[in-house]
Amino acid sequence: MDGRLVDHPILKFERGKEVTIYFNGKPIKAYEGETVAAALYAAGVRIFSRSFRWHRPRGFFCAIGKCSACMMEVDGIPNVRTCKVYVRDGMQVRTQTGYPNAEKDIFALADKLIDRFYPHGSHYTKFTNPLIRDFVLSQLRKMTGFGKPPKAVYEGKAKHEEISCDILVVGGGPAGMSAAINAGKYGAKVLLVDENPFLGGQLVKQTHRFFGSAKHKAGTRGIRIAKILEEELQKIPNVMVLKETKVFGIYNGGKEVGAVQKDKLLRIKPKKIIIATGAYERTLVFENNDLPGVYGAGGVQTLMNVYGIYPGTRGLIVGSGNVGLILSYQLMQAGVKVAAVVEAMPRIGGYFVHAAKIRRLGIPIYVRHTVLRALGKNKVEGAVIAELDEKWNPIKGSEKKIDCDFICVAVGLSPAHELLYQAGCKMKFVPELGGLVPLRTIYNETSVTGIYAAGDVAGIEEATAAIMSGRIASIHATVALGYGGEEAKKELEEAVKDLQEFRAGPFGEKIVSGIAKCMLSS
Amino acid sequence: MKVAVIGGGISGLGVAYFLAKLGAEVEVFEQKYLLYGASGRNSGGITAQFMDKELIEMALRTMKLYEKLQSEIKFNFLLRKGGYLKLSDNPRELEKEVEYQKSAGLKVKFLSPEDVKEIFPDINTNAFKAASYFKDGAVIFPWPVIWGLAKGCRELGVKIYDWTPAEVVSETEVKVKNEVKKYDVIVNAAGAWSAEINNKLGIKNDLRVVKEEICVTESLRPYIDPYIIHSNGLYLSQSMRGEIVGGIVGKAGEKSLDSSLDFLVKYAKLATKLVPKLRGLSILRQWSGVYDETKNGKPNFGFTGKVFQLNGFGKNGMSLALAYAEKASKEIMKS
Repeated sequence: MDGRLVDHPILKFERGKEVTIYFNGKPIKAYEGETVAAALYAAGVRIFSRSFRWHRPRGFFCAIGKCSACMMEVDGIPNVRTCKVYVRDGMQVRTQTGYPNAEKDIFALADKLIDRFYPHGSHYTKFTNPLIRDFVLSQLRKMTGFGKPPKAVYEGKAKHEEISCDILVVGGGPAGMSAAINAGKYGAKVLLVDENPFLGGQLVKQTHRFFGSAKHKAGTRGIRIAKILEEELQKIPNVMVLKETKVFGIYNGGKEVGAVQKDKLLRIKPKKIIIATGAYERTLVFENNDLPGVYGAGGVQTLMNVYGIYPGTRGLIVGSGNVGLILSYQLMQAGVKVAAVVEAMPRIGGYFVHAAKIRRLGIPIYVRHTVLRALGKNKVEGAVIAELDEKWNPIKGSEKKIDCDFICVAVGLSPAHELLYQAGCKMKFVPELGGLVPLRTIYNETSVTGIYAAGDVAGIEEATAAIMSGRIASIHATVALGYGGEEAKKELEEAVKDLQEFRAGPFGEKIVSGIAKCMLSS
Repeated sequence: MKVAVIGGGISGLGVAYFLAKLGAEVEVFEQKYLLYGASGRNSGGITAQFMDKELIEMALRTMKLYEKLQSEIKFNFLLRKGGYLKLSDNPRELEKEVEYQKSAGLKVKFLSPEDVKEIFPDINTNAFKAASYFKDGAVIFPWPVIWGLAKGCRELGVKIYDWTPAEVVSETEVKVKNEVKKYDVIVNAAGAWSAEINNKLGIKNDLRVVKEEICVTESLRPYIDPYIIHSNGLYLSQSMRGEIVGGIVGKAGEKSLDSSLDFLVKYAKLATKLVPKLRGLSILRQWSGVYDETKNGKPNFGFTGKVFQLNGFGKNGMSLALAYAEKASKEIMKS
């Protein structure tokens, strides 16, 4: 069966030319504009690789090039993240873990046996007899490594470019786009880079309307907000946008930044840097949570709303925050059944309007429940949920089997903090903000002068706050560089006040208390 | 005999282990965590291809000690004897080196680029003019060496204090957390920080600090057996995890642990020139380390008053330190 969506009430999927790719030698139909991972998923492929030690199946997961579960050999090049590579007619795609391939892996037996005979760390503590040691080491070496060594010399031509700018913005989501617009409008020379082939970050998955006041683009669907911001960006000639460009390192206190754009190395020399790299999805610990079919909400949204591919036929949603609720609604919109929404807290986490919508559709919401385990051998074939007591322990006898073929974990986000950490910014673990975040001034400048954080990377909120915090960081940086004069200074103070007001409501309480824990005086 | 060892790297833990076996009471002070220094940051190349009889002997002894200690401590260091290849653009000089080493009893071979291709088919024979091949050379994973030595030390009653900066206030006194402790002997095994200790005590030394940068690529199925080092400074090998670990021999000067983009660019150019198929591979991590070296390339070894010097191993700490640590333990016990 073709797993592609055809009718959708809001989204239109314009598919490119039909092409054929080969998966472990087997022809598979795909459309230009689809990633390899998406096309394989649409064709029903669920096992993309095997885990290193236990050879457990690994499948489609994050969809944004972070998790490594989809690494395959593509046209002889090893370790390619297939969720980031677009299909080409005749493309040869092979799984690279497992024997003879990841789908039918004879070493899958290791999952049952390996811990009994070869517990973790055994390669240091077992086989210490000199004769056995050398033999075991030589055998171990045969089992190690992921992709096969390249068969041919990679033909891409290495290129190299140096770019100077006033402000480098890393990440083209709502915070980054807002930062680029607000610095650009005062005349600063801005470079905005994003690792994806599109701008908008996670906005592009958001088909729902935003709340709040009209000033903050309420009533507009997220996907539309991305377009509006991009159009604004295009009007500013001193903003340069580089897509498919990944920043990999900040050197020398921020004076030099390394990035790759396909085969090209960029050495960026910025005067200020705004990090707006967003967040990762969190996962949840439960038995079999690594089975193909257990996804983050973002992965499912990408699959469904960006590529128009069904994640499955019937899903279990874990987490009733806004993401979980909106996703449930989006799934129903696309014609996918939602078996239930499970929430560990005694009440629903997200906005009432979203929950009411879900209820109206007849989806049961189980509060004070958690998922105990995923069922299935090679992919999700069901789940067991249970009620929790006051101490968060599952109540015996309350287990319920849920019939589903995918589980979607929407239990929140963690800041994608790596670049800030690597740049030497002082970091702090603040649970209210979702994890490890940088210390910052009210203008979002970190402990490293000239490096700012904006949006979810500074603390998990949502797109409206991200847009506002991008504005604050960029205007502060712009003013520091001597642009904008009194007008910019005035706007900066307004922007700070704006965000404070936005956070003043009951939903902002947690954020405000979190931010108080990581404030630097400015 | 009460001994304080400053530095929890291979030389410090090594000497602590041998001293404890001879019955000394030993305390090791590490200012950061074990593996923070060069012992935790190097690429694990093991060779005896030196231009000095003593160094060759000590390197061979170190290799034997690795074998012995793995069994004694019951801990594997993941020592893999895949050979050690020294490539050079100056065949005449290299040939002389090989002749010297042969005369010193080392089983080393002078190879042409075509001969090297038989050992590692993917090598670009135009990227060097000759090679010296030491079949018993090896790659070791430095982390289990340190973990194993620490395990062995603790089992013998050695006290290892990590995150404990120790100030050597005199030849027999160490100040730790505002408390001055007295010892019969203090071993200066502080790697790149050894010169600071000596300077504070007024002990003359010619130690200088070298910073070296290094990186690893994504993991591939094992296919590079030998540890390869080129006269242009490039070195690379493949770890037990399949990553290509490589760097460029450092230069004396700064002591920072910062990484640079210049290094990555230079390394990528040199590495893909030597092994063209590495083109297109992703680099996953980069880092840097610092070590101390002497002017004549031999370790700074022996008593200076009551302080025993066990430093200045340069980039060859993993190849030499254990044998010198063993020798140091004997000299200290005799004192």
